[in-house]
Order: sequence, then structure tokens, then C-alpha cells
Amino acid sequence: MKGIWWKLLGLLLVLFSLVYGMLGPVQRLPILNETIRVLYYHVPMWFAMVALMLTSLIYSLKALNTNNFAQDSYAFEAAKTGFFLASIGLSTGMVWARFTWGAFWVNDPKLNGTAVTMLIYLAYFVLRNSVEDPFKRIRLAGVYNIFAFVMMIVFIGILPRLTDSLHPGNGGNPGFNKYDLNSDMRPVFYSAVIGWILIGLWLTNLRVRYKNLKEKHEQV
Amino acid sequence: MIEQIYQIVKLNFRLEWQERQSYFSILIYILSSVYLSYLVFSEVISAETWNAFFWVIFIFSAVQAAYRSFHYEADQRFLLYYGMVKPENLVLGKIIYNFLYLYATGLFTALVFTFLMGNEINSLGAFLFILLLASLGFSAILTFVAGISAKASNNPALPAILSIPLLYPQLISLSRVSLRSLTGFSWEVNAPLLIVLALLSLVSLLLSFLLFPYLWRD
Repeated sequence: MKGIWWKLLGLLLVLFSLVYGMLGPVQRLPILNETIRVLYYHVPMWFAMVALMLTSLIYSLKALNTNNFAQDSYAFEAAKTGFFLASIGLSTGMVWARFTWGAFWVNDPKLNGTAVTMLIYLAYFVLRNSVEDPFKRIRLAGVYNIFAFVMMIVFIGILPRLTDSLHPGNGGNPGFNKYDLNSDMRPVFYSAVIGWILIGLWLTNLRVRYKNLKEKHEQV
Repeated sequence: MIEQIYQIVKLNFRLEWQERQSYFSILIYILSSVYLSYLVFSEVISAETWNAFFWVIFIFSAVQAAYRSFHYEADQRFLLYYGMVKPENLVLGKIIYNFLYLYATGLFTALVFTFLMGNEINSLGAFLFILLLASLGFSAILTFVAGISAKASNNPALPAILSIPLLYPQLISLSRVSLRSLTGFSWEVNAPLLIVLALLSLVSLLLSFLLFPYLWRD
């Protein structure tokens, strides 16, 4: 039972944010209205995604230096979990966009950034699956993962700042930064961010262990 | 080191020149895709469509041109290279070769565009400079990806899948800034975007340079 505390903590934080996000008080603002609650279900996904991609990067770096299969497979699973969280973030964002901007998909720097990130990581998955030799796989997938992470940071961190975005907080839109100052919303939002990061790490952990067991089973 | 890089660039030109069909196939690739867009879009060519078509065709021909970069090294010549040339020098030499190659490809594409679809370029100097930056960034990323796909082998879709998403950040800034060079360009206004482009190229160059040795050791 060692190391269970952070899993429980993640679970509690996410449950708290899921329930309290619907019930808790929020600000009333024009256009956004109640949809402001999407803050709890959409934004934390991106925080968690970046955290997991960073984990994946760190494990790739480790794997490149030590030629260790376990670390390489951890990097792969972390990237997969990050991708999964990105799909959740994308779908919650799309539902929200339908009711505030009027369309599921608009041409916005942040949406482009997300789409590109997902495409880059899909390419990483394809690359990793198309190499048979495990030693070669560590090197090829590892170096591509590093490249992918840097390009993702450029795309979601730097380029959107150069142009206007429809997203709150950029350009002429009211920013979420203002609402974050609202003391009612802050605790829920932060617990959702931390909770989802922990859940993501747990999910990765479970996937790696499941894979190891499966391999062991096949060998027997 | 510089001597070695120079030798690699020269060797590449000589090897490719012996098999001229790879140059010609790129030329024909460009000609036929530009003509395709000319046929489809002949009535509605504006600066915007000119720009969009130019970059789409350039990116695809660049991928076509560069993905064979490590074609020779993948088999018998590879062992020789491995012993004689440091991977850092090898990748720099290949990037320089691809840079020249892609710049020539871009110039040729622009020429064919001007011939078929009319001259939309307003400030030629700016356009050529943007094309230069584009070739630099593209060659860094495409050379690196060519290295990966040469090692990963036997998946023909791999070069395109791996490289095109990595090129998006540059392409989005490129198409924006090059549209301005078509309609009217001011160096002062566009300086920040050009600096971003130069930095992106630099980052790609640095990453290729640093990561290539990991890729190449066997």
C-alpha cells in the first residue's frame, strides 16, 4: 500500500472538482453565463497534458542515456495518457465553443496548436510502432519525442501570444485571469488541475504495469 | 571540421548529379502540381490563393526532395561514414546541402508560379528573404526526419507523417509574412515575425544538431 496516498489525493481532488464544479457559486457574465463552469473541465486537461508530455520527455531523455526499455515504455505510455487527456480537453472545449462562439471548430491559434500537438504525437505513436528492433526504437522514438515536445511548446506557448485569439484572456476577450481572482472559483480550479495531473500519472502507471504483466504472461 | 562538412556537401552534389533523375523528378513534380492548381484555380487567382498554393506545393516538394537525404548512407556506404565522419559534421553537411537544394526548389517553384499564374510578388527582396528563412528551417527539420525514416525503413508514408506536423509552426508564420510580401511589405512592421521565424529555424537547427548523434550511433 506504499505510495497510495497520492492516488487517493488525486481521486479526491478530481471528485471534488467534478461535483463542486457543478454546484458551487460562479460569476454571472454576459455570453459566458453558466458555461464558465467549463473552466473546471476543460483547462485542467491542458495543464495535465503538458505535465504528462513533460514526464514523457524526461523518460525519453533517461531512456536515451541508459538504453533502458522500461523507461522508453514509460515515456510512450505517458504520451498516450497525455493524448487521451488532450482528447477530453478538446471535446469539452468543442461543446463549450458551440454555445459561445457558435461553432464546434473555429480558426483560432490555440485550436490550431492543439490540433498540431495531437498530430505530432500521433506521428510519434506511428513511428514507435513501426520500428521492430527495441534498441533502435528507444533511439528513434526518443529523439522524435524530444523534437515533438519542443515544437508543442513553441506552438501552444509562443505562437498564440503573437496573434489575437478568441480564447478568454487573449486579445479583446474578457480573460479568465479576472475570474481566477474570484475566490469561489479558485480552489475548485486548482484542485482540478492538481487532481487531473495525479490521475494522469496514475493512469500511466497502471498502463505500464498492465503491459509488463501481459509481456510476462506471454513469455510463460 | 569545416573541411569535412564541405567535402560532404560536395560529395552529395556529385552523387546526386550522377543520378540526375532525382533532380528531374522534383522539377516535374513541381511543374505538374503547379499546373494542377493552375487548371483548378485559373479564374480566381488572388494574392491569397497564390500564397496558399505556393506554400502547400513548396512544403510537399521539399518533403519529396529531402526525404532521400540518407538514401545512400542507409546501406553499404553507411559503415564507411560511421567510421570516418563525426555525426555532427555529417548532419551539418546534409543540412547545408538540403538548404541549397530546397532554396533552388523554392526559387524554381516561384518562377513557375509567376509564369503560369501571373506575378503577384510585390516586394521581391522580402519574398526571397522569407524563402531563404523557410529553406533553412525546413532543411533542418527535414534532414533530421530523413535520418529517422532512413533508420526506421520500409514505411513510405513515414517521412510525410513525421515532418509535416513539425513544420506547421514555421509554415503558419511563413504564410502570414509572405502574404504581406505579396501585397506590400514593410521591414519595420514585420521584423518581429521575421525574428520569430529565424529563431524557429535556429531551434530546429540546434535540435537536429544535438539529437542526430543519438540517432546515428548503432
